[in-house]
Amino acid sequence: MICFMLFSYSGKTRPGSEAELMIHFQAYVHGEPLLLNKKYKNPFGETFEISRFRFYAGHIQPVYSDSGTESNLYSSYKLIDFSDASSTMIILPVAPGTCNGIRFEIGIDSVDQVKGAQTGPLDPIKGMYWTWNSGYQSFKIEGVSPVSDQPAHLIAYHIGGYRYPYSTVWKIKINTTNNELFRITKEYKIVVEVPVELDYFFDGPSPLRIKEISTCTTPGEQARKLSENFIGSFTGLTLTSNP
Amino acid sequence: MRKVAAISLVGFCFVMWMYIPFPFLIPKGFPPPVYRFQNNHRTKEGFELGRKLFYDGILSKDGNFPCSSCHQQFAAFATYEHRLSHGFNNQFSFRNSPGLFNLAWNRELHWDGGINHIEVQPLAPLLDPHEMSENLDQIIGKLKKDKLYPALFSNVFGSPGINSQRILRALAQFTASLVSADAKYDQVKRGTAQFNQYEKTGYEIFQQKCARCHQEPLFTDFSYRNTGMEMDSTLKDFGRMRITGRKEDSLKFRVPSLRNVYLTFPYGHDGRFSTISDVLEHYNSEIVESATLDSSIRKGITISENERFYLITFLGTLTDSSFVKNPLFADPRQGATDFAPADSH
Repeated sequence: MICFMLFSYSGKTRPGSEAELMIHFQAYVHGEPLLLNKKYKNPFGETFEISRFRFYAGHIQPVYSDSGTESNLYSSYKLIDFSDASSTMIILPVAPGTCNGIRFEIGIDSVDQVKGAQTGPLDPIKGMYWTWNSGYQSFKIEGVSPVSDQPAHLIAYHIGGYRYPYSTVWKIKINTTNNELFRITKEYKIVVEVPVELDYFFDGPSPLRIKEISTCTTPGEQARKLSENFIGSFTGLTLTSNP
Repeated sequence: MRKVAAISLVGFCFVMWMYIPFPFLIPKGFPPPVYRFQNNHRTKEGFELGRKLFYDGILSKDGNFPCSSCHQQFAAFATYEHRLSHGFNNQFSFRNSPGLFNLAWNRELHWDGGINHIEVQPLAPLLDPHEMSENLDQIIGKLKKDKLYPALFSNVFGSPGINSQRILRALAQFTASLVSADAKYDQVKRGTAQFNQYEKTGYEIFQQKCARCHQEPLFTDFSYRNTGMEMDSTLKDFGRMRITGRKEDSLKFRVPSLRNVYLTFPYGHDGRFSTISDVLEHYNSEIVESATLDSSIRKGITISENERFYLITFLGTLTDSSFVKNPLFADPRQGATDFAPADSH
């Protein structure tokens, strides 16, 4: 037992995590940073406001261009909540190297969905957990739209589900625009900007017209389709240096 | 080397000390449980905290609906004599409350299998507006303000603090400990009792006509099946399809365990059958045809009057009276103070 404890302790100080990568998620509509509770139009001309927008990003790691190996040091989940600016900036301990993108998962994978009571970002108190059909939502977009026929013109896209064939959990890889390389070193910190362009959530492989679909709050085929739209919102990375 | 041996010995004794006083015993003949208190080390204190929470209305919005309001020990932790249970603000629950026993062997819970882990199950009744109607912020706030709970949580989990995980894990320490394996059936299997002639005949009929789905020793195969019950037009309950979104799961419900079946009436996901005899008559003559009807009962299950008598007699041997009277599982306020392993009867 003691040997085991020593082993797991040493596992936490693996070499190669001495650099840091900062990742910043920013939501956009029509190329403008999203403001909550502000009126926008989707690509189909439908007016909407968003009051709540959250998603899970898991197992985030840089994609190294200078070696075949992948840094796999960071294996937890972050809840990005656009009503809480601090949650949109993630600081990752990573190995130094030259990179051309990042990869992560949208949603909570099927292994972590069935682990029982969790804390931190996976605490059900965060409002991303379904209680009658156990499972974490992958993302949640709520607001109002005059074209919604729901009470108070509400719109609600609570998109989740991890079971085949309607999984809403996706592994995605986003490259820098123009495949630009960036170096992660101990001394030099870089901020990777990840735009989330909501226009593509509406105008995706399964066009989302609010008049037709104003809510989707259970796992299933519809949720799966909207999750596919959502990953299309992650268009490309831009780089800034750490202020 | 000697040092290593000494440390190992100390470690071993430590482990024994941690485990032996409060073992979770797997009844003879049972398969390995699904839930083995992984990441939720089972202790006497943890069990007791879960038990206190289970019986405490503090978890519900108006204080009137503890878990035990729908899960009564004398009914093997189902709701006695109720088709649907009562919840907050004079509302009915959506489904018939199942008995709670041998939950550690369940990979999924609820009639539709919607719950994927025993620890997260309480979230459903706690937050449902028809049942306990509370929210997690409120529950945690109330527990933190209580005179006793902060110290109890601190004692069980080794540091101060109350969060949803600790509440859920404490509850799981109690609910997963509800092992029922001392019915006359079990005693017969262990060789300490014998079926009478009626029970023996009933057991033979059971094995022939029921055991395919109600598999021993847990008396369920944990599958989801459409047993030909017409959908209630007000409940509109599609069962397993609500969870999977798949048409082929329409109207399928979990095969319930038949242990303690005398105590858990009424029967069926919506409690439509008042008696065991009604259930048997359903299989005998009332099966409603539909696309997803279980193939094994397409022609019904022919059960004669005589067979019905023997079957019902046998099912009586599945009543575990020591389980429903076990003071360890009772409301702690009623003064059960003696402590022994949860599954020694």
